[in-house]
Amino acid sequence: MDPRHSSLRSFALSLPAIIAIAPFLGACFYIFRFSVSGESGRISGFSLQAYFELAEPFFLRSIWVTVKLAALSTLVVLILAVPIALVIASVRGAVVRRVLTVTILLPMILNLLIQSYGWIILLGPSGVLNTALRESGLISRPILLLFNETGVLLGLIQTAIPLAVFPILSASRAISREYLEAASSLGAGNWRVFYDVILPLLRPGLVSAASIVFAYNASAFAIPLLLGGRRVQMLGVAIRDMISPLFNWSGAAAAGMVLIVITTGVLLLATWLINRSTRTPKSTGTSAPLQTGGGA
Amino acid sequence: MFSSLFSTRGGSYSFVIFFLTTLGLLISALPVIVVTLMSFSAAETAAFPPAEYSFRWYEALWAQLSSDESSSAHSLGDAMFTSVLVAALVMLIATFVCVPLAYALVRGGGRVRAGMELLFTLPLVFPLVILGIAFLLIAESLALDLGIWRLVIPHVALVLPFVLRNCMSAMNGIDIEIEEAAISLGASWPRAFLDVVVPLMKPGILAGLIFALIISFNEFTITFFMYTIDVSTLPIWMYSRTVSSLDPAVLSLSVGIILVDVVMILIIDKIIAGRASLF
Amino acid sequence: MSTDLKIEGVSKNFGSVSALRDIDMNVEKGSFVCLLGPSGCGKTTLLRIIAGFEHATSGRLLLDGVDVSNVPPHKRGFGMVFQSLALFPHMSVAQNIAYGLKLRGIDKASQRDRVEELLNVIELPTIADRPVAALSGGQRQRVAIARALAVQPKLFLLDEPLSALDAKLRENMQIELRQLQRKFGVTTVLVTHDQTEAMMLADQLVIMDHGVVRQSGMPSQVYREPADAFVADFLGTANVVKGEVSESGAVTFLGILAQDKALPVGGAGIEVAIRAENIAVVECENPERSILGTVEFVRDLGPNVESIIAVGEEKLRVRSRAREVVSLSAGQQVGLKIDPDLCSFFSR
Repeated sequence: MDPRHSSLRSFALSLPAIIAIAPFLGACFYIFRFSVSGESGRISGFSLQAYFELAEPFFLRSIWVTVKLAALSTLVVLILAVPIALVIASVRGAVVRRVLTVTILLPMILNLLIQSYGWIILLGPSGVLNTALRESGLISRPILLLFNETGVLLGLIQTAIPLAVFPILSASRAISREYLEAASSLGAGNWRVFYDVILPLLRPGLVSAASIVFAYNASAFAIPLLLGGRRVQMLGVAIRDMISPLFNWSGAAAAGMVLIVITTGVLLLATWLINRSTRTPKSTGTSAPLQTGGGA
Repeated sequence: MFSSLFSTRGGSYSFVIFFLTTLGLLISALPVIVVTLMSFSAAETAAFPPAEYSFRWYEALWAQLSSDESSSAHSLGDAMFTSVLVAALVMLIATFVCVPLAYALVRGGGRVRAGMELLFTLPLVFPLVILGIAFLLIAESLALDLGIWRLVIPHVALVLPFVLRNCMSAMNGIDIEIEEAAISLGASWPRAFLDVVVPLMKPGILAGLIFALIISFNEFTITFFMYTIDVSTLPIWMYSRTVSSLDPAVLSLSVGIILVDVVMILIIDKIIAGRASLF
Repeated sequence: MSTDLKIEGVSKNFGSVSALRDIDMNVEKGSFVCLLGPSGCGKTTLLRIIAGFEHATSGRLLLDGVDVSNVPPHKRGFGMVFQSLALFPHMSVAQNIAYGLKLRGIDKASQRDRVEELLNVIELPTIADRPVAALSGGQRQRVAIARALAVQPKLFLLDEPLSALDAKLRENMQIELRQLQRKFGVTTVLVTHDQTEAMMLADQLVIMDHGVVRQSGMPSQVYREPADAFVADFLGTANVVKGEVSESGAVTFLGILAQDKALPVGGAGIEVAIRAENIAVVECENPERSILGTVEFVRDLGPNVESIIAVGEEKLRVRSRAREVVSLSAGQQVGLKIDPDLCSFFSR
């Protein structure tokens, strides 16, 4: 068909979606504009003041806590997600597959409040863990698991597992069973096959999963809010506090920009790494994090 | 299919894989299990595991739901109604805009496609807190009474990546010759689109619809910033009820939500079974 | 319902790439034309231009003398069978066949009658309500053909429709297709890269390469009198060897002297095409007009024996009837007989 005609049609067909996403783009721009505003309560003039004011110990510690928890949770999540992905890829029974699907997908979409309730019940002072430890005589007073970094870390790990499983699983589709059979026929044991064949082929999926989990957990809000209380000031919570008690809008916007730079920086780095490593043999099942579906 | 991605023969290797898988699945499911068990507790306190089981908290929830005064600002019924209305609107709007976009991107191809795909993936990786704040700022500065659209507009942006992905993966499977066949038989392009393309995209469209529905229905962070006394959803209602201490009646409500989500996931799984898109 | 089609000076550029250059073609009413060429020769692009799915950069399409170049594809009233067949998977066989009739606003009862009629024609009267997915390869093929013919098309277009079938089934389908086309008397254009298929089906064979028509004509004529070395080489198995023309007009190739070939004179280099079946292998006793060669490779295909025989620097592919040839083995010295009257000569 006439190419001009079809590109006009493509535009017309894309228009509703562009309108739907326009508020999001507006919001992105608005945050940036506010972060360089001359006044802290409204948009007026230009100033980098808000950014300079971030260079205080409280905010820097918040960045440190955020990066530390995001990195730790990413590490643990990867260690758990690789075996889960491999097992799911091997499952054939319809029922088992369905149970696994629900178990993996549920934490991704279920209301974060409900999941936090679970952790509060488990980890709280009168929760199952403390009760068990006390009854076994290991401790005399409840240990603090909630409203500190341990609780937040557990919550971050749990809610991010599905985000890691999906890209790894899609990378595992590029692994033909024949590769593994070839490796074992050449004399490689299970661990050798894992290190020499599976892991290198999963690498794009791993990088993608790691960057998504890191970005997701670095910008976490509900989990640190509900499980960390005021004690674990991850960036999301710190930004909220700038607005809610303090009304420092431009400061919050500037802090938000810092968070965006951290997360998109990691994502872009991962995209670059994957594009570099998969340039020659184009594997079908894997894609860079910025093209991969994840969680909300 | 990949039965030897992990081998059943080897000793230590299989053990480690199974151990980590079990641990990971357990951690994933733990909160849901705990909440479900707790909701049947007979006790007043949140001691776990419950000493006795009962339906008292479900009865309490039911009482609350049926006796709720509709005038009350923080009524459960209102929140539930708003949640469902918002989710339904989000689902319809997102699907309505993504189906033509998926068609345009898959058929158009080229550089535009890569750029647009990237653009429509952004809401997925953008920090939700910041989105919440930004939308709040815009809504405040517009000084308009947006009503329910305060929540619908940001939710639509949030679910676009999921809906688009599902629509595109369905669209990718439709050979252009199928469309041309309809045209060669005398169908105008819109006719061919409705007669052939849309029916064949149906699984992807349905999966996208349900994804949009559950994500919007469960959304907390953006809503936390955007809600008002008049427009508030179920998660916000739950948050307001548990901000100081856990009310077990909220747990029985949670179990209801969990059930709805599980059913939705099973429906999605059924719809797109055999295709790789879910995983 | 049958029409004649005239293609006038059609060219197609994709960006800076020229896919078709100045194509002229006449398709007579009710005839069967095969566009044959290697992949990338432009044959499919030409078919898509005829169907209206591509727009020619320049040139015109005349249908019974009326210019249809700017008529959108859904208003051309052609029937097309696609390479993937493109049966609608969400419709039954009957719904597929009736789709074009439905679009033309034909009432339900007539639709049903027409579907029944076509299912009888393709000899599958009982499959009307089956889903497309439940059909075998050959059945799908026939349903796709029936769907395209149901609308009584002015022009019947087929894009490598048989390429997915296995060899035996393909041969049967070729015969059926030809019979159907005769029965409906519909003007037909088929694209293929399979020369046997083209030879079998076509009234008129159009050989294409690199976006131009190299030769057009009856299949037997194109085979026996190829217009150039490309056509000779592409159709059947031919050996193209170099030759010389002397001042007197005598041609020499492989040490053979041929007189009176109407060719440019004056020491010019020429090309000679010799069909593999036109080389006779004889005992090596150095008789008159035989050349010496060494057998490099032999395979016995049953009815034919194919061999590669080295003559000087040239390696000739030879096809002999199994009953008529001396037994060959690699390394053996043989004599070859080539009749210059069965060779084609082209200036280089």
